Amino acid sequence: MGDTVSERNGAAPPGTVLVVDDSRMNRATLRRLLERLGHEVLEAENGREALATMRDGARRVDVVLLDLIMPELDGFATLEQVKADPILASIPVIVVSGLDDLDSVVRCVEMGATDFLPRPIKPALLRARVGASLADKRLRDENADLLATVARQRTELARFLSPQVAALVSSPDGEALLNGHRRAVTAVFCDLRGFTAFAETAEPEELLGVLREYHGAIGRRVVEFEGTLEHFAGDGVHIFFNDPILQADHQLRAVKMALALRDDVADLAAGWRRRGYDLGFGVGISAGHATAGRIGYEGRYDYAAIGNAVIMAARLSGQAGNGQILLSQRAYADLENVVVVEPVEGLVLKGLSHPVTAFNALELRRAASGDLEEVRA
Amino acid sequence: MLADLLEMVGDDPEFVAELVDTFLADAAGHVDAMEAAVAAGSAGDLLRPAHTLKSNALNLGAAALAAISRTLEEQARGGSIDGAAGRVAAAREELGRVVEAIERARTDAWATP
Repeated sequence: MGDTVSERNGAAPPGTVLVVDDSRMNRATLRRLLERLGHEVLEAENGREALATMRDGARRVDVVLLDLIMPELDGFATLEQVKADPILASIPVIVVSGLDDLDSVVRCVEMGATDFLPRPIKPALLRARVGASLADKRLRDENADLLATVARQRTELARFLSPQVAALVSSPDGEALLNGHRRAVTAVFCDLRGFTAFAETAEPEELLGVLREYHGAIGRRVVEFEGTLEHFAGDGVHIFFNDPILQADHQLRAVKMALALRDDVADLAAGWRRRGYDLGFGVGISAGHATAGRIGYEGRYDYAAIGNAVIMAARLSGQAGNGQILLSQRAYADLENVVVVEPVEGLVLKGLSHPVTAFNALELRRAASGDLEEVRA
Repeated sequence: MLADLLEMVGDDPEFVAELVDTFLADAAGHVDAMEAAVAAGSAGDLLRPAHTLKSNALNLGAAALAAISRTLEEQARGGSIDGAAGRVAAAREELGRVVEAIERARTDAWATP
């Protein structure tokens, strides 16, 4: 013979093999042969014991060698239970049987057995079949680990990115969307009135405390209305809707979020005022097409929406007084049936040659607050 | 007869001796169980001991005993015990010959030191 243990192992690293056979002689033979290949061996006298060992979890079973005719629970019933158990189903099962019972072997393969090992056992065949099943099992385990890692990274990523973008990064069509696409969006800009003056005079701790409360309020509403948060820049926040997730009611979501935020920040501002800070809150909302996708450079990318609609929302936000939610003409056209507004005329926006009219959203029309059909697409 | 066993487990006389001991310790019990099953007229109870004895005999290279056991296993699987009593008696006889052969081989080839 002359072959060493390592030669016999070949490329397949050892694993834990459960030998299920009611014959002591068969178990002893398989144990010796498998141990020579470097495998750990567990034994069970029947299917019931085998299932108990597999479910026990004290030792992870990598491969099962299963005899068919056994007391208590035979090989067929055992295989059936293994395949019906979501945790055990992925463990490879090799059926050990005489060549005179090929019908049973075929039945087992149909039931989900991985392979077949004929009796009397040929060591070379045993090594090959167990090695192949172990390699297969290892691959499956690695895949499962990989999926768990992706899920974990996604959770982690969601702390930094908007959840929609985090999901996009690990989704199959994510790459195409990240590469850039045109989309009708509703863009929302908001910032605090009086923040620059406050930032110049406030202690850093006070500044960060105010921002933390403000960002916290915005974060809760962005999540509630499923907006995509593009970025925070101090007190300036840019959020858009209908991308990357499509939202039939994106205009309505935007205005509902803005109204909720206006009230939230008014409450916060009352507290800030008591601490001596006079801060107001203004919002600009615009609808239109934008190009969305990945911007930045290798090592640091953002998911962004770029276009006139976005610029318009930023400009409107800059002109909004405390408590105002300024809708662009286009955004108001989409929402006129659902929102009560007052026109704000003669706004001079940077980059536009003529003054424009915007619409300050006051509240939702009572009947329309939950009704999406009145939003013109 | 033991050539198959040696081929299977490799040149490991000590382990072969251990397996043979295991075979001897269990084989008579399998024949007893077959006999009881036939006496009770139960093909279902015949299947398992016939199967195990067949498989152990195959391991050992005891071809004749394996053949008789296989016939019994097959008829049990088919639900029949017709003629099984005679075959079980033949199996017991054949087992006697196997035991003799093993004893002979033991004294010849691997007399205990």
